[in-house]
Amino acid sequence: MRRVARILIWIAVAVLGAGALGKIAFDRGESLNAMWFVIAALCCYLVAYRLYSAFLAARLLALDDTRATPSERNDDGRDFVPTNKWVLFGHHFAAIAGPGPLVGPTLAAQFGYLPGTLWLIAGAAFAGCVQDFIILFCSIRRDGKSIGQMAREEVSKRGGFIAQLAVLAIMVILLGVVALVVVNALKSSPWATFTLAMTIPIALLVGVYLRFVRPGRVLEASLMGVALIFFVVVAGQWVADSPSWARIFTLGGVPLAFAIIVYAFAASALPVWLLLAPRDYLSAFIKAGAIFALAAGILFVRPHVLMPPLTRFIDGSGPVFAGKIFPFCFITIACGAISGFHSLISSGTTPKMILRESHARFIGYGAMLLESFVGVMAMVAACAMTPGVYFAINSPPSIVGATPDAAAATISGWGFPLTAQTMAGLAHAVGEQTLWNRAGGAPSLAVGMAQIFSNTIGGERLLSIWYHFAIMFEALFILTVLDAGTRVGRFMVQELGGRVWKPFARTGWMPSILLSSAIIVGMWGYFLYQGVVDPLGGINSLWPLFGISNQLLAAVALVVATTILLKMGRTRWVWVTLLPMAWLVIITMTASYQKIFDANPRIGFLAYANALAAQIAAGKIPAAKLVDTQRLIFNQRLDAAVTAVLAVMVIVLIAEALVQWYAILSSRRAPALHESPYVQTQWAPGYTGVAQGDD
Amino acid sequence: MQDATRTIGRFARRFWRGVREWCGDAAYERYLRSSAAQGDGCPRLTAQEFYVEQLNRRYSRPNRCC
Repeated sequence: MRRVARILIWIAVAVLGAGALGKIAFDRGESLNAMWFVIAALCCYLVAYRLYSAFLAARLLALDDTRATPSERNDDGRDFVPTNKWVLFGHHFAAIAGPGPLVGPTLAAQFGYLPGTLWLIAGAAFAGCVQDFIILFCSIRRDGKSIGQMAREEVSKRGGFIAQLAVLAIMVILLGVVALVVVNALKSSPWATFTLAMTIPIALLVGVYLRFVRPGRVLEASLMGVALIFFVVVAGQWVADSPSWARIFTLGGVPLAFAIIVYAFAASALPVWLLLAPRDYLSAFIKAGAIFALAAGILFVRPHVLMPPLTRFIDGSGPVFAGKIFPFCFITIACGAISGFHSLISSGTTPKMILRESHARFIGYGAMLLESFVGVMAMVAACAMTPGVYFAINSPPSIVGATPDAAAATISGWGFPLTAQTMAGLAHAVGEQTLWNRAGGAPSLAVGMAQIFSNTIGGERLLSIWYHFAIMFEALFILTVLDAGTRVGRFMVQELGGRVWKPFARTGWMPSILLSSAIIVGMWGYFLYQGVVDPLGGINSLWPLFGISNQLLAAVALVVATTILLKMGRTRWVWVTLLPMAWLVIITMTASYQKIFDANPRIGFLAYANALAAQIAAGKIPAAKLVDTQRLIFNQRLDAAVTAVLAVMVIVLIAEALVQWYAILSSRRAPALHESPYVQTQWAPGYTGVAQGDD
Repeated sequence: MQDATRTIGRFARRFWRGVREWCGDAAYERYLRSSAAQGDGCPRLTAQEFYVEQLNRRYSRPNRCC
C-alpha cells in the first residue's frame, strides 16, 4: 500500500514538473510568475535525483557501502577525515558554487528566459550532475586521486599531461574573466569600491585574530567579520555622498584592473592565514546567506518575469555578446549546467572526506542540482527586471550608442521600451552614478536581486543598500576565487618550472614564490587588461573563451569517466557519459571554430583583427589611436591562438582515449583498472560520522 | 511536550555541530580525537600550528570553483 502511495506521489511530482515546464515553454501571455520556474526546476530535480541518480548509483557504479572509503583507510584528522554527509554536502557545495552560475545565466538572458532555463535544468540532470557524481566515485575508488592523475593512469601519460595543462589554461582564463566582472561592477562606483576595499582590512583583522588571539575559532571570528562587512556596506553610502571621499574611490577600469592585480599578487605571496583564508571564511558565510536570501526572496515576492521567452537575438546579433543560440547559449551558461572545474573538486578534497560510497550520490549529484537551482534563480532575477533596463546595463556603447538618449533610442528600437530618464532614476535609486555600459552580469544581477530583496524588506528606501549588498556579495566571492585560484596557479607554475630547474619547485622559497606569483598574475592580468580596454566591452570576447575552456575541461573529465566505465565492463551503460561528452565536444568545437574563423568581426577573433588591420591600412585610424589598435589586433590573434590550442589539446586527448577504447572493446588488451584494492569497512552500518561521544 | 523539546534540542545540537564542522571551527578538536585514536605517539601540533598547517595544505590545491 505504501509502495503504491509512493509511486502516486512521484507521478504527481513528475506531472507537476511537466505542467510547469509546459507553462514556461508555451505561455505567451503578458508575463509569467517566477513560481513556475521554481516549481519546474524543483520537480525536475526531484525526479532526476530519485530516478536517474538512483540508476547511476545502483546499475552503473554499483556503489558498495561494505567497502572502506579513503577517509576510513587513511584517517589522519587532516586531509582524510570521515565527515557526516550533510556537512560534506555543505563543504562540497561551498567549493563548487562560484560566480559562474550567477553570471552565465544573467548573460544568457539576452536570448530570452526559455533556452537558458531549459539547459540549466536538463544540462544539470544529464551532464553536470553525472560528471560530478562519476568523477567523485572514480576518485573515491582511487584514494582521492586528482583528475590529472586519473587521466594519466587510466587514459595515457600524455592524456594526464594534457589534462594538467588544460587545468592551468582554464585557470588563467577564468581568473582574467571573473576579474573583469569585478572591474565592471566597481567601475565609477565609489560606494561599491569603498565597500570592497574595506573587506581587505577586515579580512586582515580576522586573520590576525584567528592566528594569534583565538587560533582556529572560525565561527566567532567570521561572525565578527560579517558584522563589520554589513557595517561598511552601509558606510559606503556616506563615502559616496562625500565629494572628497567619493573622488578617491571613483576609479576607471584600468586603475581598478591594476589594483586587483596587485591585490591578487599580494594574496598569493603573503602567508595564507593573513588574507586569503579569512577572506574565504567571510565569503563562504555571505555566499550561503545571500543564496538562501535570494531563494527566500523569490518565494516571498513571486516576481513576474518580464523578459520574453525568446528574443530577436537568437540570430546571433546580441548586444551583450555576439553569437547564435547554438552553440553560444550553452557556452555562456556553462557552470550552472555543467562545469569542468567541478571535476577538480570532485577529485580533490571531497573524496578524501566521504564516509560511505553511497554518499557520493547525494553529494556529487545533489550538490550540482543545487548549483543548477542557483543558476535558475539568477535567470529569474535577471529576467524579472524590465528588458530595456537589462540591455541598457549590459550593452557596450559601441553597440547601443555613446549618449543615454541614443542608447535608449536604440534599445527601444529593438522592441524593449526605455527612456534615458528611467535609467537615470534607477541609477539614483540604487546609489550609482550610472548604470549604462556595466556589462559582466554582476550589476544587472545586483539590480534584479535588489528589487527582489527590497520588495521583501525595506521597500524603495533600502534599494540602494540591497544593491550594494548584492554587488559586495558577488565581488567578495569573485575575489576569493581570484586569490585562491592565483595561489593554486602559482603552485602549478612552480611544479611545471621545477621540471626545468629543480629549486623553482620549492614552494617555500621566496624568490620562487615571488616569480611564480608574478607569472600567474601576469598571465591572467593580461587577459583582464585586454578585456578592460576592449571597445566591445571585453565580455563579448572573454566570456565565450572562458565558457569554451570550461566546457572543454568537462569534456576531458567525461573522457576519463568513459574510459573508466569501459574498463569496469559497463559497456552497456557507457552512453551515460558518452552522450554528454559528445554533446560538449560538438558545442565546444563549433564555438571554437566560430570564435576563430567566423566572418562577423563581433564573433570571429581573426575577422575582427583583419577588420582593424584593414582600417589601419586605409588610414582610418588616427595616429593617436594607432598603438591601441595594434594592441587590439594582437589581443584578437592571441585569443584565436589560445582557443585553437585548447581545442587541439582536447582533440589529442580524445584520440588517445579512442585508441584505448578500441583496444578494450575489441578485446585486444585486458583493461587495467587502477582501483585501490577492496578493504571491508570496520564501521557499523549506522555510523554517520558524528563526532564520537557527543550524541 | 517534553519529547518535542528533547527532539528540538537534539536537532539544534546537531545543527550547531554541523555548522562548526562545516566552517572548520571544530577542525582542531577533530584532529586531537583522530590522533588520540591512532595513538601513534607522534607529538601533537598546538592549535596555532595545526591551524596554519591545515590552511597551507587546503590552499595548495583547487578548493574554490568558478
